[in-house]
Amino acid sequence: MKLLINGEAHDLNVTTIEDVIAHFNLQSGLVATEVDGTIIDRSKWSETNLNDGMKIELVQFVGGG
Amino acid sequence: MNDVLAIDGKQFHSRLFLGTGRYPNPFVQNQAIEASGAEVLTFAIRRVNLSSPDEDAILQHLGDKTFQYLPNTSGAKTAEEAIRIANLARASGLSNWIKVEVSRDDKTLLPDPIETVKATEILAEDGFVVLPYTSDDPALCYRLQEAGAAAVMPGGSPIGTGLGILNPYNIELISEQLTVPVIVDAGLGSAADVTKAMELGADGVLLNTAIAKARNPVKMAEAVKHAIQAGRLSYLSGRIPKKKYATASSTIDFISK
Repeated sequence: MKLLINGEAHDLNVTTIEDVIAHFNLQSGLVATEVDGTIIDRSKWSETNLNDGMKIELVQFVGGG
Repeated sequence: MNDVLAIDGKQFHSRLFLGTGRYPNPFVQNQAIEASGAEVLTFAIRRVNLSSPDEDAILQHLGDKTFQYLPNTSGAKTAEEAIRIANLARASGLSNWIKVEVSRDDKTLLPDPIETVKATEILAEDGFVVLPYTSDDPALCYRLQEAGAAAVMPGGSPIGTGLGILNPYNIELISEQLTVPVIVDAGLGSAADVTKAMELGADGVLLNTAIAKARNPVKMAEAVKHAIQAGRLSYLSGRIPKKKYATASSTIDFISK
């Protein structure tokens, strides 16, 4: 599936947001996601199906003041 | 002395909010956090670096101690962008506190007052615990309190400059006028600046660069902890009025003539 993730084009074998998190080996407890501008709560990751061309943002806490 | 800082019904024994950016490495950072006694830690929200996701994942280094997390909306140039970042931060499930930080000027990073008030109002209404970073204008700080801020965070001087408190009159007035806690945020460069902020009546301080970029961050963290205690005690004790001429410390009764 062709997805735009954090501004980069990716072609991944995934169905849901949860699959994307697993693909990149992210610590799920630390990441927040947005799909096509809508925030997806962690409890909905496994039931949020993705389609070709969707824009995904994966963000986390980083050092800051 | 039972002198606690209360925000959002939570009680803090430390009056330091500590930033987590720009330390030499995670080990030094953890030692500095420990030495500072801080119970509130600030963060930014950024895209995960997909090619090395662990690189910036700061929380994995923090260990078991529980902190109050205060994510910021840095990078936002409008209220709308700040609100989006705040919602992403809350979706992490780690905190519903948010430091509203909206700046349109990359050179000074000074907060935009109009957008800051707008974002504060909307986020407070939406159930966030909002702590806006703001310029040190007393009327503006009052408006932020009215807009629902849980604490107001006026800057001493621009972020990362270490210029200290450029307008002590304003910081004192803000601390006097507001009923919500006042946390002096940004620009503090040393323990002396921190003591000054506390003596002016601030309820706390937020530091990052002053500790992270000190030659010895761990010792500076400890110095800041003591500076807060000294400044706070001094404020509560009441300083003497300033006078132009001398007053002898001893009476002259027993001096032979």
